[in-house]
Amino acid sequence: MRQRTLLLLLVAVVIVGSILIVATRPTVLGLDLQGGSQLTLLAKPTDKVKVINQEVMKGVAAVVEQRVNGLGVSEAVVQLKGSDQILVQLPGVKDPTQAERLLGDTAQLEFRKEAPNGEFEKTDLTGADLTNAFPQALQSGNGWEVALEFTGPGGEKFARITRDLAGTGRRLGVFLDEEAISTPTVGVEFVDRGITGGKAVITGNFSAQEASELGIKLKAGALPVPVEIIENRTVSATLGADSVRQSLYTGIAGTLLVFIFMVAYYRLPGLIADMALIIYGLSTFAIFKLIPVTLTLPGIAGFILSIGMAVDANVLIFERTKEELRAGKQLFTAVEAGFSRAFTSIFDSHATSLISCAVLFWLGTGLVKGFALTLAIGLIVNLFTSVTCSRTFLLTILNFPALRKPALFGVSDVPAKAVRP
Amino acid sequence: MKIEVAKSKSRWFTASGIGLGIGLVAMVISLLTLGSPLRLGLDFTGGTLLQLQFPKAIPDIAKVRAEVAEAGYPNSVVQQIGNDTIAVRTRPLSQEERSKLQDALKVDLGNFQLERIESVGPTLGQELLFNGLLSLALALAAILVYLAFRFQLDYALCAAVAMFHNVIATMGVFAILGLLLGIEVDTLFVVAILTIVGFSVQDTVVVFDRVRENLKFLSRKKPFPDIVNDSVNQTWVRSVNNNIAALLVLLPLSIFGGESIRYFALALIIGFVVGTYSSIFIAAALLVWWRERQAVGATGAGAAKAER
Repeated sequence: MRQRTLLLLLVAVVIVGSILIVATRPTVLGLDLQGGSQLTLLAKPTDKVKVINQEVMKGVAAVVEQRVNGLGVSEAVVQLKGSDQILVQLPGVKDPTQAERLLGDTAQLEFRKEAPNGEFEKTDLTGADLTNAFPQALQSGNGWEVALEFTGPGGEKFARITRDLAGTGRRLGVFLDEEAISTPTVGVEFVDRGITGGKAVITGNFSAQEASELGIKLKAGALPVPVEIIENRTVSATLGADSVRQSLYTGIAGTLLVFIFMVAYYRLPGLIADMALIIYGLSTFAIFKLIPVTLTLPGIAGFILSIGMAVDANVLIFERTKEELRAGKQLFTAVEAGFSRAFTSIFDSHATSLISCAVLFWLGTGLVKGFALTLAIGLIVNLFTSVTCSRTFLLTILNFPALRKPALFGVSDVPAKAVRP
Repeated sequence: MKIEVAKSKSRWFTASGIGLGIGLVAMVISLLTLGSPLRLGLDFTGGTLLQLQFPKAIPDIAKVRAEVAEAGYPNSVVQQIGNDTIAVRTRPLSQEERSKLQDALKVDLGNFQLERIESVGPTLGQELLFNGLLSLALALAAILVYLAFRFQLDYALCAAVAMFHNVIATMGVFAILGLLLGIEVDTLFVVAILTIVGFSVQDTVVVFDRVRENLKFLSRKKPFPDIVNDSVNQTWVRSVNNNIAALLVLLPLSIFGGESIRYFALALIIGFVVGTYSSIFIAAALLVWWRERQAVGATGAGAAKAER
């Protein structure tokens, strides 16, 4: 009796705590529900970098992160995946195509000198010698250019190169990923000292957007190896909101159907199971918010499914209780036997599903992981609500003599002795 | 209602055999015509999907198809989704190719909102397929180990056969759906199969748990087939009710859920229904069949010894 009071108290604490958490904590929605882009980049080996190792990937990730920051997307995620992939999540990104353009290019900036034969020779000045790059409007007001600021040594290199070229008519080649984007000549006035001051501009007939993207790329630096975007999953915010609404409606509809079914079939215990189900839904959702679990569409589907499966334990128990009642046991004993005898089966059945979840979580990718995690949390919470909660409720309710009727348990053909007090 | 399993084993084996046979034939046809037993979706083959939502008048689907072909992608799939959305599926496109296609369509079809981009490179598709199959194999193996640990070996084997029965049945239905309606399987289908594996084994485990429990009390009084039959009759209401509860939440999902979730829910519905059926009629019947065969073997061996 004392133990039951304590359990009731525990259940009450769980309910109040869950309500508080659900009310105060934000729900973390996945990209498929809030809208945004998820990109997977694959790093590719080159002649220079033949093996893609952790070191290279860290370098790639650092550059990618810099560029993502340039996009101005809040709460973007850049993480390594596998041995040669990078996962980029851009919640609420307005222009996914721009993001792809920004992340996909290597952005290897090189300054080359035109040789007398007209070919451009490499110099030691590259994008690595930059401290800053930003777009600025042309003085003519008609178009944009990208302003560069060099490091100290970079500025010296630039001065040396421009001095060599000044007045010769040979051009300076500004190459981006092996492509000449600007080939200015250097005026004869720089023949003594070159262009000093560590600053330069690239004028390449840019639009405002192009100049800004190039600025971001140059500032972030070049990728150590080229990358390919091998996966792009983008969902608009409207479609995401639609999905949330749809999940909500289907979830509520399904839960209501289960509620009705349980009461219609199991009567009083069914009602108890429904109460346990409410606690289940509430506390599971609270745990999602507490961890927090990022809710994706499959994740919500997993949660909805777990509501349907959560009654399984109660179904097992109540069927067992009915059997014990028909076998002539007292109501109290029958309920206790129902719970204790059904427990092995409940445990086994949860274990097999948890095994599936573990494998899914271990091997699955983003969306699949979400599903496995929500289902697994649901299964574990379910052990508590469907066994501990419903048992406590049921035994408490049996304290009221008016409710001690086998008919309320859906059993009509009870031997007479079971009804006797 | 009393169910007869032990005596009418052959009827259930035949029914399942025919069902699985049809599914396997569909998978073979699919393998010959499509190159894989199930119609693989973009996730596994690689490809680009653009979902275009037209705020005003939705253009004629034939016109969209023609425009997409003209843009250089004649073998694309163009489908209408809902009232105002058109999905275009092409081979994997790079960002430049995709932008060009979008611009071309915008010129000819009027303004649209790009609701969804899904683009998977062919190598990644293979990786996803491999991962899916690997996780399926691992889950099956892990559950087999668990069953062997929890039950005697023959119980575990019967449960395993029922488990494969359910997986093949669900895949068979999707092979047929793929052939007839062009329904494809994606990563979520693999998830569904794994969930079915976990869930359907639950049903079998409950029946077998009961068999074990009854054996403790009744093994002296009743022959094994009767005990199994009793156990099935003591548990099938639970299996069916549990299934009904799951179906009650899955049905709204399969009817009103979005494009991807709909078929996920459908796969689960098929798998769960088949799973409940097999836990009652296949797993238990197999156990009886196996024990009877062993008993015959044992007495046969005994008789041979006596003759000597």
